[in-house]
Amino acid sequence: MSMFRNKKLDLGGFINGKIIRDHTKRRVFEANEVERQALRYVIRNTTLPQRARAQAQLQLAQMHAYTRSTQIRNRCVAGGVARSVFRDFRLGRYQFREQALAGELPGVRKASW
Amino acid sequence: MSLTFSPRLLSRVGQRLQPLVLTRHSSSLTGLERNNPPSADVSRTSSLVKDERISGHSAEPSASPQLQAKDWVQRLEGLSGKARLPRSVQAVYLRPLRRKAEYGLPVCDLQLRSYSVRNVEFFSDFAIRAAYYLGLPVSGPVPLPRIVERWTVPRSNFVHKKSQENFERITLRRLIQVKDGNSQTVQVWLAFLRKYAFHGVGMKANMWEYDSLDVVENLDRAGPETEKSLEGLLSQFGQRQDTKSDDSLVEILNKDHLVTLKSPLSEVGRR
Repeated sequence: MSMFRNKKLDLGGFINGKIIRDHTKRRVFEANEVERQALRYVIRNTTLPQRARAQAQLQLAQMHAYTRSTQIRNRCVAGGVARSVFRDFRLGRYQFREQALAGELPGVRKASW
Repeated sequence: MSLTFSPRLLSRVGQRLQPLVLTRHSSSLTGLERNNPPSADVSRTSSLVKDERISGHSAEPSASPQLQAKDWVQRLEGLSGKARLPRSVQAVYLRPLRRKAEYGLPVCDLQLRSYSVRNVEFFSDFAIRAAYYLGLPVSGPVPLPRIVERWTVPRSNFVHKKSQENFERITLRRLIQVKDGNSQTVQVWLAFLRKYAFHGVGMKANMWEYDSLDVVENLDRAGPETEKSLEGLLSQFGQRQDTKSDDSLVEILNKDHLVTLKSPLSEVGRR
């Protein structure tokens, strides 16, 4: 969402629209994490009045999608691909293969056993 | 020496020698000595250069003391029979020395990790030698099980799942255990290893400290001091001042930005 996006580019490396979007989501989630957790706590605390809990439930449901942690997706730092990204290298499988063959990943070599 | 086998290089040396030999009266000693070893080889193989040297010899007065200085190769050869290297240098060529542990109480576990055998072996050797000179008894290096990670990826960037490629990364580990050493000495040792950390070798250390049986008394004695040292940290502990509010839960939940719907229709309805 454009309202959340930084006016100035605050990213380095490979950049495309999806990467910027993911980055924005991460920032928004971080900014709203405390509030989310507070609401979740109110909802789950059975000692609180039912009305307050219901209210909190509604409010949590109304928070923007970008404040959810589930919106965050790991993306390849070299190509922006979202599928089959290795957590160890933060690279998509094809970028991983290319870089491994080029010897840019320390210790990674072709295996045969 | 490879010089003797390449005629092109030889001739170049010959060319370089010529002015040197001719100006020997005035040239500096150091320049000559640096060029001596190749010249010795050259004189053995090439008659041309040899002639030049001989002519140089005959031309100049033989009284100069530089000529009597022996070639450094000859000098080393002469030495090698009689003299030995200093002990500390000799030790480098031998297995690392070790102190003997008196009680065998483990004090520190150092784990070295690397993807290359050479690096981890070299650095563990270095660590053991350093421990010896610090007076720490060590055991090891114990080769711990290797960590093998394997990945299989399709060769292509799109579909063609049938053609894949395997990659692996093997992490090698070595464990060095320090036994009954002073904890401060161990820390010095660890700091030294960190200062001269080798490229591509990771380190991880666990330290254990031992206390006398009357631990409780010692803790009681150390209590006030510890509290004093923690004061600075504890003063920063607690709720942030700028987030503090006296609102009740209901008031917080009724806050405007939480209650109002952020949709165009709700805006219309409020107006």
